[in-house]
Amino acid sequence: MSQTLYNFKRIHPVPSSSDFVDIVLSRTQRKTPTVVHPGYSIGRIRQFYMRKVKYTQETFEEKLGLIIQDFPQLDNVHPFYSDLMNVLYDKDHYKLALGQINTAKHLITSTGKDLVRLLKFADSLYRCKMLKKAALGRMATIMKRQKDSLGYLEQVRMHLSRLPSIDTNTRTLLICGYPNVGKSSFMNKVTRADVDVQPYAFTTKSLFVGHMDYKYLRWQVIDTPGILDHELEERNTIEMQAITALAHLRACVLFFIDLSEQCGYSIEVQLSLFNSIKPLFGNRPTFLVMSKTDACQLEDLPEEMQAKIRHIEEVGDAKLTRLSSYMDTGVMETRNMACESLLQFRVDSKLKGSKIKDTLNRINLSVPAKRDSVERPAFIPPKALSKVKYDKEDPERPMLLRDVELMNGGAGVYSINLKKDYLLKNDEWKEDVIPEIIDGKNISDFIDPEIEHKLAMLEKEEEQFQAEGVYDHENGSEEVDEDEARIIKMAKSIRARKQVLAQESRLRNTTNRPKITTKMRASKHTVEDFEKRFKNVEISGNVSERAAGLLANSKRKRPTSIMNRDDKEEKAMEGNNSNTLFEQRSVSVVRDRSMTGLQNDSMYNVASKKKAKFQRKSNLLAKRGEADRQILTKMPKHLFSGKRKNGTNDYR
Amino acid sequence: MPQNEYIEESIKRHGRRFDHDERKRKREARMVHKNSQFAQKVHGLKAKIHNKKRHSEKIQMKKTIKMHDEKSANQKTGDAVPEGAVPAYLLDREGQQRAKILSNMIKQKRKEKAGKWNVPLPKVRGIAEDETFRVIKTGKQKTKSWKRLVTKATFIGEGFTRKPPKYERFIRPMALRYKKANVTHPELKATFQLPIISVKKNPQSPMYTQLGVLTKGTIIEVNVSELGLVTTGGKVVWGKYAQITNNPENDGCINSVLLV
Repeated sequence: MSQTLYNFKRIHPVPSSSDFVDIVLSRTQRKTPTVVHPGYSIGRIRQFYMRKVKYTQETFEEKLGLIIQDFPQLDNVHPFYSDLMNVLYDKDHYKLALGQINTAKHLITSTGKDLVRLLKFADSLYRCKMLKKAALGRMATIMKRQKDSLGYLEQVRMHLSRLPSIDTNTRTLLICGYPNVGKSSFMNKVTRADVDVQPYAFTTKSLFVGHMDYKYLRWQVIDTPGILDHELEERNTIEMQAITALAHLRACVLFFIDLSEQCGYSIEVQLSLFNSIKPLFGNRPTFLVMSKTDACQLEDLPEEMQAKIRHIEEVGDAKLTRLSSYMDTGVMETRNMACESLLQFRVDSKLKGSKIKDTLNRINLSVPAKRDSVERPAFIPPKALSKVKYDKEDPERPMLLRDVELMNGGAGVYSINLKKDYLLKNDEWKEDVIPEIIDGKNISDFIDPEIEHKLAMLEKEEEQFQAEGVYDHENGSEEVDEDEARIIKMAKSIRARKQVLAQESRLRNTTNRPKITTKMRASKHTVEDFEKRFKNVEISGNVSERAAGLLANSKRKRPTSIMNRDDKEEKAMEGNNSNTLFEQRSVSVVRDRSMTGLQNDSMYNVASKKKAKFQRKSNLLAKRGEADRQILTKMPKHLFSGKRKNGTNDYR
Repeated sequence: MPQNEYIEESIKRHGRRFDHDERKRKREARMVHKNSQFAQKVHGLKAKIHNKKRHSEKIQMKKTIKMHDEKSANQKTGDAVPEGAVPAYLLDREGQQRAKILSNMIKQKRKEKAGKWNVPLPKVRGIAEDETFRVIKTGKQKTKSWKRLVTKATFIGEGFTRKPPKYERFIRPMALRYKKANVTHPELKATFQLPIISVKKNPQSPMYTQLGVLTKGTIIEVNVSELGLVTTGGKVVWGKYAQITNNPENDGCINSVLLV
């Protein structure tokens, strides 16, 4: 079932026609440029004014479109609402008003278009301005003519937004009857809706909705204004609202009848109203509710009247109930009866409908055939049967921990023993400090039972070693041979040097000083530095001087690549590991980029094969590759336009 | 959840707050001062709008005051004139309620005297050709300039067919063509939108007449069959002259006065 809830409260307010014009024109003024000069090119002036006209037109269209869109269309809403709106606002008037708004919208569109077209031929700022003025003026005039329909729509909107939101599909009780028979009193009793109750007719002038709960379901109770017994044509707007609700809502109808005749209408008249609006009830569950039983009972009436009322029930038009809102008798009973019958009615009608089949097809209720005549009742243990149901009041009831707690002074004074009922292998474990068991184990499972013994063994062994004097030897021996001493000394110096290097590098990497490029740093090295550095390293002085000489040369010219280095130098350095000297230096050597990112030869081979394969096709077809020379634009416009000859100007 | 007329309901049940009337009175009294403050402070476009509104309000106010005054003023009626013969010096104008009414005959005569061809707008501003016509350059090099575009509103008869562009000297754009005019009947004081039949005369130049250019002061022929005017002979008049009273190219419409 498609559940459409109407929200008439969301309709935007409709401004009056003069406000409408003000809103739109001031918006145009705010949102479009305001400065134009006669000195501007005519295209610019035209565009300026066209924009104003267009913007105004669009704003009008948008605002009017919003109105048309917001207001519900009578053909699209639920027939109940459509009829109610017809009763309250007159369908023809409503449609006419919306239609006029729509026409106005179209007129404004065409006016805007016309004037923009004229603006295209305007040849002066004055003419543009006059045309803009004409356009806005005409649009404003069109809106001025909509004064009445806008006013009407605003009234409708305000009233619509105050209509109670009646859900047309939900479970509903509908209260109707003559004026002043106690409809609103019942409503106030049953729901929390605060409907005004007064001792005169037509206190309730429109539909009221209240909500209540029954069987954990939400119910909607609708209180209608009283209706009199006359022709449909003669009914006024107030009565027609009740009739609309009766005609369109699938609800349980509670027809109220006042036996005491305090309402000022005789029982006969009330019954005749019942008979005349009976066709509206359809076959919905209907109740004839005799209210004000505190004042008059059915039995107090004359025989023939009683018979008449009873006849209604016998025929099956309605069920009889009685209630007194004043005494509060029969109210809930009436409500419950009504709800029950409506629930039943709804279920029945759902079962009759075609939609239920989709659901029923999926349900299979299997009722197995009886195999034999042997009774197989459910098994209930005799102990369970013999168990007495727990009763708070019973003095013999079983003691609960709660009771124990209360007996000993309540919560906070006495704390109950929760461990008492633990189900453990051994009852002694119940009170353990660490009773928690994880994965079937507790802490004690992870303790080695022989740990004490092992410790004792170890200690004993230690004592034995001491007694034998195994440790004495290590402290006393100072005999180190020369080799070892040298190694130790070397290691010490290496460690010290390493520390120094680490510190230097740390200092180097702190950025709090100007950066020096590798090249600069290389040029800053002096012979002294070099000698100082290699002072401690055991190299023959000859070589170090030679290297220093090389370094001095490098200031003047770039050293040639390693390949071209002199053989002499090569020989001189042979046997020494001072090759590093040259590698430290930053020399711009062209690297072979084809090897970058490739770790070894095999990777290189694979890559080159792939490359060859990939290129084969485009090479065969002589296609353009990325290395080819490209000319994107053969004749760049800016270099070739104009009549000046080539070469007369750098830039054109 | 409030429903229906809940505000009225609440007032009915609980009444208004005690100082409601006082507050209302004060608010109203304050309103005058607030308005005046606003009027003194406001400037620019808002001031313009406000002044206009205030102006019309004042006019309305004065009118109503006048109306009320008239009610209380003594109305002189015919009863005030004493019956019987009265000497000349006692002849008063008390009995007369209205000013002298011109008879239709006199009106007619005056009109004839004024001249048959008198029109509502006897003089018009001259319009130069370069204002009316925009030069359109033609030719491959855009050097020729023999073609003209009419930038004023025009009327073009139904049977008009465009010439081939080569021979078309004057272009009259579709956007500026008009078929209908708003015609005011000066005696009826009513305005009708009537179809134009032809352009009788444009005072600017005969060429404009030929082209059907509609400028201020142009005499046009309109179809008045809708009005149901009848000649003295009893025939229905269907064509009548009217003079254009506005600048159509500035207003986007043609307003005219029927010549009767």
